[in-house]
Amino acid sequence: MGLRETLDAVLGATRLPKSNLDKLFAISTASITMQSELDLKPAPAAGICFKPVESSRFDAAKNEIGELLRFSSKESGTTFRIETDEYRFIWVILTDPDFEDLVAGIHLVSLTLIEKGFGAYLLCAIFRFGNGKPVYWIYNFKQGRYYPFIPAADKTRDNASEFRIRSRMEKELPIENDVERWYPLWGIPL
Amino acid sequence: MVRWPHDLGLQIRMAGTLFLLALVYFVFIAVLAYIGVETLLLLVIVTIILLLQYFFSDKITLWSMGARQVSEQEEPHLYETLTRLCTIAGIPRPRLAIVDNNIPNAFATGRNQKNSVIAVTSGLRTMLNQEELEAVLAHELSHVRNRDVMVITLASFISTAAWFIFRSFLISGTGQLRGGRGGRQNLLFIIPLIAAAVWIISFLLIKALSRYREFAADRGSAVLTGQPSHLASALMKISGLMARVPTNDLRKVEGMNAFFIIPAISGSSIFNLFSTHPTVEQRLAALEQIEQELGRHGT
Repeated sequence: MGLRETLDAVLGATRLPKSNLDKLFAISTASITMQSELDLKPAPAAGICFKPVESSRFDAAKNEIGELLRFSSKESGTTFRIETDEYRFIWVILTDPDFEDLVAGIHLVSLTLIEKGFGAYLLCAIFRFGNGKPVYWIYNFKQGRYYPFIPAADKTRDNASEFRIRSRMEKELPIENDVERWYPLWGIPL
Repeated sequence: MVRWPHDLGLQIRMAGTLFLLALVYFVFIAVLAYIGVETLLLLVIVTIILLLQYFFSDKITLWSMGARQVSEQEEPHLYETLTRLCTIAGIPRPRLAIVDNNIPNAFATGRNQKNSVIAVTSGLRTMLNQEELEAVLAHELSHVRNRDVMVITLASFISTAAWFIFRSFLISGTGQLRGGRGGRQNLLFIIPLIAAAVWIISFLLIKALSRYREFAADRGSAVLTGQPSHLASALMKISGLMARVPTNDLRKVEGMNAFFIIPAISGSSIFNLFSTHPTVEQRLAALEQIEQELGRHGT
């Protein structure tokens, strides 16, 4: 714990960590290995989740995201929809058979939020693989790391497969070391 | 970079209170040293008591409040709400506990982030909607993040010692604390007076400090959720109901005094939404302020 965090804690000041986009694109190359070695094709959809903020500037940022996506969809053909989940978080779901376009779209949304000053409220980005049972790679913006999430029946998760996929992919993808941070997300809308 | 409104005034008041506490403690120790009182044994005893309380605060508090720790499978919704807040705050996730009680309340306990537990009553869950529940969890999470148990325990250290000195003089005259060699024995009689004064002053300062930390946690909740109005409506709902419920039950916490023996620090491991002093009106006014700052500057 650094001096600044200690001082912040003692004086009760809250600072939220910044979001880190550096490693987001690592999923592009990883998707090729996922397909060739694990026979897991990327699904034609990806999502990004963030927390709404009570501010007119946030509403403006959200509108801008919609406009940017509409604009870029003319070129890429990516379609999108915006949803609010049961935790009142906002999801932007992108649909496109081209995985590169999905990654670019997720990057566009996160970058816009960061530029407008709401990067701290990014929860995660999610990429889905596999046809039947979904295999998710979740990008944690605060850690700048990915982790696998494979839900099973009744809100349990397939830990064995998650560990297996980690050991296969850890050379190509920056994976969260601390397994305790592999938080599940139930009811992912993609 | 997120430019969230910082309450500089609050931080200055908090730093000022801590400084005054340190000053009072310093003067107290200087006087004891001047008179030549053997304080080593006393300090060792107080240290042990505080260490015990520090390390077992989570278990003691949970046990005395009748809180039951729950697993992720038992409370998936509550856990996921907390998980999302912790992910945004970039901190490890504390455990959750439930108190089967209809009175809406919540508290946080534990010495550091990894060993912390946040407890909510069943009444709180039924009364609040998702956003309000999240705001209350964010408030408790801010207590964890700000290490309030540690700060208050440390701040209470000499205060506790002063209380012990005062007590031992009451029980046995000047008995237990013998003057050391070369001390000024003729001044021993003023020690209980000074100890009492130190205890009272530091008690008031610690109360002020914990009020400031409540405000800081409210602000932390507003920053973390990005939505100050939901904490405000949660506070209004809870206080509105509490007005109609006999307060005796809420004061159950006071029973902790007997348990901890040491009144000045008994509250330190419990950060109840309501047992510490800022009034709901004051807290709502502070949240209103944050909302206005948000409206003016955005983030």
